[in-house]
Amino acid sequence: MKGLLAGQGFRYVLLCFVAAASLPLAGCWNRTEVNDLALVTGAAIDLAEGKMIELSVQVFIPRTGGGQQAMGGGGGGGGGGAGGGAQTLVRSGRGATIAEAMSKLQEKFPRKLFWGHTDVFIIGESLAKQGIRDQVDFLMRFPQTRERAAMFVSEGEAKKTLGFHPPLERSSAEVLREMSKSRLSMDVDLKKLAQMLSGGAGAAALPWVEMLPPEKGQMTKQSIPYVYGVGVFKKDRLVGQLDDIMTRGVLWVRDEIVKETVITITPQGTEGYVSFNLESSTTNVVPEIRDNKWSVTINIETNENLIQNATRLDVMSMKVNDSLERQLEEEIRHRVEEACSHAKEMGTDIFDFADDFHRKYPKQWNSVKAHWEDKFASLEINVATRVKIRRPGSTTSTGANRPQDEVEKP
Amino acid sequence: MRFLRIILGLKEWSNRKQTMQQGAQAPSGQDFLAPDLQTNEQVLRSQYANCADVVFRDIAIAGSTKALLLYIEGLSNTVEIDQSVLAMLMEKGLVSSDVKTLLQQKVAVSNIKEVTTFTETIQHVSVGNPILLIDGQNRGLALGLSKWEKRSIEEPTAEAVIRGPREGFTESIGVNTSLLRRKIRSPKLKMQSMTVGTYTQTRIMIAYIEGLADDTVLQEVMNRLERIDIDGVLESGYIEEMIEDYPFSPFPQILNTERPDVAASGLLEGRVVILVDGTPFALVAPVTLYSMLQSAEDYYQRFLIGSTIRWLRYLFFLIALLMPSIYVAILTFHQEMIPTTLLLSIAKSREEIPFPALVEAILMEVSFEALREAGVRLPKQVGAAVSIVGALVIGEAATSAGLVSAPMVMVVALTGIASFTIPRYATGIAIRMIRFPVMFLAGTLGLLGIMLGLIVIIIHLCTIRSFGVPYLSPMGPMKARDMKDVLLRAPWWSLNTRPHLIGDNNPYRQSRGNKPDSNKGSE
Repeated sequence: MKGLLAGQGFRYVLLCFVAAASLPLAGCWNRTEVNDLALVTGAAIDLAEGKMIELSVQVFIPRTGGGQQAMGGGGGGGGGGAGGGAQTLVRSGRGATIAEAMSKLQEKFPRKLFWGHTDVFIIGESLAKQGIRDQVDFLMRFPQTRERAAMFVSEGEAKKTLGFHPPLERSSAEVLREMSKSRLSMDVDLKKLAQMLSGGAGAAALPWVEMLPPEKGQMTKQSIPYVYGVGVFKKDRLVGQLDDIMTRGVLWVRDEIVKETVITITPQGTEGYVSFNLESSTTNVVPEIRDNKWSVTINIETNENLIQNATRLDVMSMKVNDSLERQLEEEIRHRVEEACSHAKEMGTDIFDFADDFHRKYPKQWNSVKAHWEDKFASLEINVATRVKIRRPGSTTSTGANRPQDEVEKP
Repeated sequence: MRFLRIILGLKEWSNRKQTMQQGAQAPSGQDFLAPDLQTNEQVLRSQYANCADVVFRDIAIAGSTKALLLYIEGLSNTVEIDQSVLAMLMEKGLVSSDVKTLLQQKVAVSNIKEVTTFTETIQHVSVGNPILLIDGQNRGLALGLSKWEKRSIEEPTAEAVIRGPREGFTESIGVNTSLLRRKIRSPKLKMQSMTVGTYTQTRIMIAYIEGLADDTVLQEVMNRLERIDIDGVLESGYIEEMIEDYPFSPFPQILNTERPDVAASGLLEGRVVILVDGTPFALVAPVTLYSMLQSAEDYYQRFLIGSTIRWLRYLFFLIALLMPSIYVAILTFHQEMIPTTLLLSIAKSREEIPFPALVEAILMEVSFEALREAGVRLPKQVGAAVSIVGALVIGEAATSAGLVSAPMVMVVALTGIASFTIPRYATGIAIRMIRFPVMFLAGTLGLLGIMLGLIVIIIHLCTIRSFGVPYLSPMGPMKARDMKDVLLRAPWWSLNTRPHLIGDNNPYRQSRGNKPDSNKGSE
């Protein structure tokens, strides 16, 4: 018994030695302190002269904590207060590929660039026109970049969007990410983009970034980038763009439309407006091949809430309600059809109807796969909308701000 | 191997045993009391030479028969001796008849035992029973008049509850057995006495319920206790270390408790309780890891509360073990796992810190442990000062001096709190100890290291047993029936069975259908 006890103790000691010996073997080879990292919050990819790729990164500066934390006396009383020092800096590197540009860029940083928190990639207009497939390849291949990073295409040079110091958010990359999350335009991440680029539709769309000029009296650096519509890619080249309203149409087809979307119509026989807020919406795309004629039917079912009545209509009346619903259906159909025809004009199937056909008619799909673009151009698109107005808002009186006798009784 | 043996003193054991035994105990040779009082007195006086606290009182029973009363000052009730023994026996006009009848009629003491040997005599004197030796008799009388100053029953401080009995064991074993007996009134509650310690002659009691406790476990407990050969036992910790299964394991395999209700509930589940004189801490065995994570109060609060708190405790058990390690691992190896905003603010607060995260964590953890230890050890009046200084040093000054970052302070504080949610102090300490090697692993190998550490810990936990019961049961080996008291604290009306491997002698605690129901009516 006693010998056994000692034997066990010995085994523990041996175990400790073995464990300790393994430490230098496996080593702390990839141990990095946060202090030695340059956290990349956003990156822009542009085309520079001579077919070079210019990679610009926005790096977070941890030093200027504008009241972020009670750092006490630690390091000179903590920055310069709100709106003072910049929290980010932008630097660029050039190379034949992104990979090369990245290594050139690393030379300009004392700290190791860390891509694990890069939420935003912005592609410059000129590069987008030339094709983005090869750049996306790197982003997918490089282990540090996140596949869930949001992708954008910007008007003009993408690098510019990174240089601004937005007053509300920490960085302009953060601004774009938040906007992308709100899904007022399309929300495309790296993985989705890669799927679009390799999908059968041969088309892609990325949110289109423009600059919001600063308010009067504000510093020019305080302007922010914002998302306006989408840039449309044919294969992997930027061919055009859709504006905000048209983008809504696209979102409706892709079933990506979200709450808080406001639609305003002018009811028949009035001069005012009535505004509605989207409550919920489902879209169902039904592809059909009949007599070798290809068509899709887009069924949209939407619930709306009335949020403003700027007319003399009695919105509590069922009759008015019904007529408003019909007009809304018409409005939505109009928007969707317009988006569809625009997409057809550009010859880009950004709705990914190709996938719907592929799924339902795999055999027929194989025959048109090669020339889907032509097929798409001749595709018959039917839009069927159904709208229900669910709530008249918090007030139930017929006219909230109107004497009763001014309200039109149907 | 040899080195370890020397350290643990396992060498030359048998030689030492003999020297140790010498002269600790009373006389050898001819042990029996002589019929002659003078001889007896001589022997006893030589035994108790230079013992100023031993009182020898010569008396004359009924004015004629010589007798000797022997007791230790402060261990016997002198008032009782005066009134019930001396006054009665020394009364004038007492006819000195046969000693036996005299005692039957005259000595008003309820508990009297005859002693025939010097060893017995000395044993009785040591525990405070006065000895009456009468001339011409080769036997003495031990009067059950022991009484000494003892602490009154107080609330157990180490295991506080909000709801539950407030009495705790004391240093006196007689009080402790009575506390147990008051909880379990059945004669099936057995207490076997034993004396351990060559010099201290410490009484220990092995309590169990006949028919519930596993006979082999009981036998094993007795065997291990009998094997103990030590000069003294001052606390049940001595016993615990001498009888536990895996002395090198950081995890305690015997539960110690100050609470009679915890001991009683152990008894009712078929466990064995060891009471040791001189300490309020009783030992309960066999136990599992889960009994170390249970508090008495779990069973006194309503079961929903009990279950919720138990879950909270499990969660904080993990936090106490892993939180600093995970923080260090993620911060030095897996920065992409932290939400961006959090990483940015951590990066900000770490910017001025000169140390790597691992050093920072160890610095803080060690100083926290030191503060905790100082808080326990210091007198109460100074304790407040220490906690203030500690809060300032750890919380405020360390961050503003740029030694540690604010998030690290939070992690350490939370870990500290978490380790205090473990109701058993010894288990809490075990977890704190293990935390440090896991932290090193985290700082060198990242999450991989944490997983390695966890695997080692779990393998170890699967290996150890407490008196034959696997330490992780009922999880490993799995016993679905017993999950009712591990994953949850099932309501009392459904806690039907005793734990497997512990209470198998009589598995059922109660009849079925105890669930209250307003429709049951009165039958």
